Amino acid sequence: MSSTVIATDELKPKAKAEEVNYLNVEHTISSWLLTGDHKRIALLYLVSTTFFFLLGGMAAGMIRYELTSPAGVVLESDTYNKVFTSHGIIMVFTFLVVAIPAVFGNFLLPLMIGARDLAFPRLNLGSWYMYMTGGTLILAGMLFGGVDTGWTFYTPYSSMYSNTQVSLVIVGIFIAGFSTITTGINFVVTIHKMRAPGMTWFRLPLFVWAMYATSLMMILATPVVAITLLLVVFERTFKLPIFSPELGGDPVLFQHLFWFYSHPAVYIMILPAFAVISELVANFSRKRIFGYHFVAFSSLAIAGLGFLVWGHHMFVSSQSMYESIVFSLISYLVAVPSAVKIFNWMATMYKGNVVMASPMIYAIAFLMIFTVGGLTGLVLGGAGTDIHLTATYFVVAHFHYVMVGGTMLAFLGGLHYWWPKMTGRLFNDRLAQINAVIVFIGFNLTFFPQFIVGWMGMPRRYHYYYFAPEFQAYHIMSTLGSTVLALGFIWPAFYLTMSLFNGKKAGPNPWGAHGLEWETSSPPPVTNFLETPIVMDEVYDFDPEAEHAENRRRIEAAEAAKSDERKGSMEDHQ
Amino acid sequence: MASSTHTHEHHIVPTRTYVATFLGLVVLMVMTVAIAGVNLPAIGPLSGTVVNQLVALLIAVVKAMLVISIFMGVKWGSTLTKLWVASGFVTLIVLFGILGDYTTRQFEHQPGWEKQADGALPRVTPNEPEVPAADSNTLNVKIRQ
Amino acid sequence: MSAITDSMDHGHGHGHEPGLHHQYEDMVQQTESYIVGMWVFLTTEVMFFGALFFIYTLYRWNYQRDFYIAHEHLNVLMGAGNTTVLLFSSFTMVMAVQSAQLKKRMHVMGYLVVTLMCAFTFLIVKYFEYASKIADHLYPGAGFATDAKLAFGEHAMEGGKLVANMNHVQLFYGLYFGMTGLHAVHIIAGILVIIALIRLWYNKANSVIHDYVPTEMVGLYWHFVDLVWIFLFPLFYLMPKPH
Ligand code: HEM
Ligand SMILES: [Cu+2]
Repeated sequence: MSSTVIATDELKPKAKAEEVNYLNVEHTISSWLLTGDHKRIALLYLVSTTFFFLLGGMAAGMIRYELTSPAGVVLESDTYNKVFTSHGIIMVFTFLVVAIPAVFGNFLLPLMIGARDLAFPRLNLGSWYMYMTGGTLILAGMLFGGVDTGWTFYTPYSSMYSNTQVSLVIVGIFIAGFSTITTGINFVVTIHKMRAPGMTWFRLPLFVWAMYATSLMMILATPVVAITLLLVVFERTFKLPIFSPELGGDPVLFQHLFWFYSHPAVYIMILPAFAVISELVANFSRKRIFGYHFVAFSSLAIAGLGFLVWGHHMFVSSQSMYESIVFSLISYLVAVPSAVKIFNWMATMYKGNVVMASPMIYAIAFLMIFTVGGLTGLVLGGAGTDIHLTATYFVVAHFHYVMVGGTMLAFLGGLHYWWPKMTGRLFNDRLAQINAVIVFIGFNLTFFPQFIVGWMGMPRRYHYYYFAPEFQAYHIMSTLGSTVLALGFIWPAFYLTMSLFNGKKAGPNPWGAHGLEWETSSPPPVTNFLETPIVMDEVYDFDPEAEHAENRRRIEAAEAAKSDERKGSMEDHQ
Repeated sequence: MASSTHTHEHHIVPTRTYVATFLGLVVLMVMTVAIAGVNLPAIGPLSGTVVNQLVALLIAVVKAMLVISIFMGVKWGSTLTKLWVASGFVTLIVLFGILGDYTTRQFEHQPGWEKQADGALPRVTPNEPEVPAADSNTLNVKIRQ
Repeated sequence: MSAITDSMDHGHGHGHEPGLHHQYEDMVQQTESYIVGMWVFLTTEVMFFGALFFIYTLYRWNYQRDFYIAHEHLNVLMGAGNTTVLLFSSFTMVMAVQSAQLKKRMHVMGYLVVTLMCAFTFLIVKYFEYASKIADHLYPGAGFATDAKLAFGEHAMEGGKLVANMNHVQLFYGLYFGMTGLHAVHIIAGILVIIALIRLWYNKANSVIHDYVPTEMVGLYWHFVDLVWIFLFPLFYLMPKPH
C-alpha cells in the first residue's frame, strides 16, 4: 500500500527508535497488567484465550475417549453431561467469540488504519479484565460442580430443574459478554474516527471491514443474550416466572431470545475468520483481491441477514410452521454472501502467484473445509431435512466444520502470518507447513465420520449408543482423528515458542505483504508508527507484472540451482 | 488522523428550547394519563382497547423522540450518530419479529386440515386417549426447591 | 509508494491541549469519538431493555385481562409523579450540559445537584411503591398474593370467586419487578456517575472544565434512563380497561 510520511515533532534518531518497541519498552509485570497499549493487551488476550482453549480441548478429549465404546468408557451420565457442557461453554464464550477479534483485531486494527491506538485504551484493558473475571467465574462454576444443561441453557431445564452451577456460570458469561460489547464499541469508534489521513473506506484492508461487521453484531446481539440469561438466573434465585410454563411463561421464548443472539454469534465467530482469510489470500496470491467491494459489503450483508435467521435452530421447538418456512428461506439467502466471499477468494488465487507458505496452506484448508460446513448448513437450513437431522451428530459435524475448520484454522493461519509482526521473530516455516497439513488431515478424520454417523442417526449429547453398535467404527475413527488434530494444535506452541529464542529477526515485512501494518518495524514501536502515515492508494496494490517477473526469476533461479547441482554431480562422477 | 469532515462545533441550544421541550413532555404525560381513563371508540377492525393502547404508545414514542432529538441533541448531531441511534431501534424491530411465531401458530390448527387425505396434520391429534401422567420419578428430573 | 513530507494540519498539536489523550490528534477527533462511543453504548442498552419490552409485549398480548387486573394495584399518582420528576431531572441535566459548554462552573454544579435530588426523590417514591407491593405479597415466589382478595379488592372478584389467573398476575409482577428493578439499578448507577462528575467540577479537574464532553456523556446516559421510564410508565401504570 502506498503511504507517505510526515514528520512529527518527536524526532528521535531512527536507529535507536527501532530498537525500542512495544515489547521491550518496559519489563515489569505491572507494565503488562496495567497497559493501555492495544498490542500488549492483544498478547494478554492471546495467552488467556490459549489457556481457555487448552481447557476446552481437554474436555473434548474426554468426550472423544468416552465415545470409543457403545456403552461408554469411564464417565457417569451426569458427568458426561457436565463435560460436554463445559466443552461447549468454554469454547464458545471464552474462546471462539473472543479469539480473533480480541487478539488480532486488537493488535492489528490500529496498525492497519494507521492509528496510534484504539479509541479507548482504558476501556480496552477493562474489557480484558471483564473477560478474565467472566472466565474465572465460568471455571469456578465448573470446579464447584459443573453445569449439565448444554451450552444452550434451554429452559425450563436450566431454570427449574438443573441442580448444578447454572447461575454462577451464567453470571460469568454475562460479564464476559460485556467484555465483548466493549471491544465492539472500541472497534467501531476506532474504525470510524481514527483512520489515518487518506485512509478512505474503500482503501481499508478487508480485515477491517469484517471487523466492523463483527463489532456491529457484538453490539446489537450480545445485550439480548445477556438479559435473557440474566432472567434465567432471576428465575432460579427470585422465582421470576418469565420462562416457567406452569406459571404461564413460555420456555420457547427463551429459545427465540437465545438464538436471536446465538445465530448472530456464529457470525461473530466466523466473520473475523473471513477477515483473516481475506488478508491471507490476497497477500499470498500476490494479486489485487478480486471483487474488493463485494467482499467488503458481503460482510455487512452477513451481519444484516444474520439477524433474520435465528428460527432455523427452532424447527422442532413448536415454533409456528409458517415462521419455519420463512426462516428456512432466509437461511438459504444468508449463504449467498458467504459464497460470494468464497468465490472471490478463489478468483483472487486464480492466475495469482500463489506462495504456499504455512499461512496460505491454512487459508486453502479453510476454503475447502468451510465450504463443506456452509453447504451442510444449507442441508440443516431446509426445514424438512432438519427435522431428521436436528440433535444428531450431523449438526455436531456441521458446526465443527465451520467453527473449528473455519475459525480455528483462520486463527492458526493468522497466528503464523502475524507472528513475525507481533514478536519480531521468524519461525521455521517448513515445520509450520507440515503442521498445517497435519491439522487438515486430523480435522477431516475427526469430523467427517461424524457427518456419516449423524446421518445414520447418532444423537448428539449421548454417551451410550449400544442400540447401534455399528456406530463404533466411526466414533473410533473420529477419536483417532482428534488425537492427530490435538498434535496439530500443540506442535505450533513449541516451534513458535522456540522461534522467540532462536528465530531470525523478522524485519518489517518478511512476507512481502501489503498493508500499513507491514510498513512499521517488527515488533512495532509503542506508538505504532514513528510518523503518521498518509495513505495514497488502495491496499493490495500488487503489481502483477512485477510479481510475474519475480516469479520467473525465482523459477529460473531454482532451475539454475538444479542444473548446477546436476552438473556438479556429473563432475563428481567423472 | 483526524477524519473529521464535519467539525463538531458545539451547538449551544437556547434555554427556551429546553424549557419548551420540558413543558411539552409534561403536557404529553398529562395527556396519556387522561386518555387512559377514557374508553376510546373502536376504529375499523381495531377494538377500543387496542386504540387506547396505540394512542398511549404513540404518545410515548413522541415523548421519546423529543428527548432523543432535543435533550440528547441528535437533531444537531452527525449523520453517524443518527445512524447508530437508528440501528438500535431497527434491530429492536427485528427482535419484535419473534411475535410472528406467536401470531401465526394459531393458523396451524385450521379445522378441516386433518380431513384432507395427504394434508398437513395438526400438531395434536384429536381424540387420542389421554396419556396417563408419567411418574415423575422415572424421569430422573425433579423441580428444584 | 510515493512520499510527501509535508502537511501542516496533521501531526502537530499532539499533546498540547489539556485533556487531550495521546491516541488522538486533536480535540475534535477526541470529542467525536467519545460522543459516538457513548451512542454505540446506548444502542446496546436499547437492545438490553428492548428484549425485556418484547417479553412484556408478548405476555401482555396473551394475558390482557389478567394483566389489567394486576395493574390496578399500581398507584398511577406515584407513577405520574415519578415521571414528572424524571422529566424535570432530564431538563436540569440538559441545562448542566449547556452550562458546561458555556463554561459556567457554578451553574453546572447547581444543575447537577438538582438532578441528583430528583434521582433520589425517584428512588424514595419507588421505595414506597415496592413496600406496598411487598406488604401484599405481590412478589413472585411460593407465597405469592396469599390474600389476593385483599390485594386487589372487588375488581378481581366476581361472585365471590377470583377472576384473574393468579399465575399470570404473578408473571405481571415478575416483569414489573424485573423491569423497574433494572431501571432502578440504572438510576443508582447514574447517581454514582453524577456524584463523580460533581466532584470533578468541584475540584476544577482539567478533564471537565476544558471539555464539555464528559458532562455531555453523563447527560446522554441520564436521558436514556429517562427514556426507558417514558415507556415503562404507560405500559405498567396506564392500561386501558378492556372494552
Ligand atoms: C451457510 C450458512 C449456515 C447455515 C444455513 C447454517 C444452518 C444451521 C442450522 C439450520 C443449524 C441448526 C441445526 C439443528 O440444530 O438442527 C445450525 C447449527 C449450528 N451452526 Fe450453522 N449454519 C451456517 C453457518 C454456520 C457458521 C458460519 C457457524 C459458526 C461459525 C455455524 C455454527 C453453528 C452452530 C454452533 C450450530 C449448533 C448450535 C447448537 O444447537 O448447539 N453455522 N446451522
Ligand atoms: Cu444458525
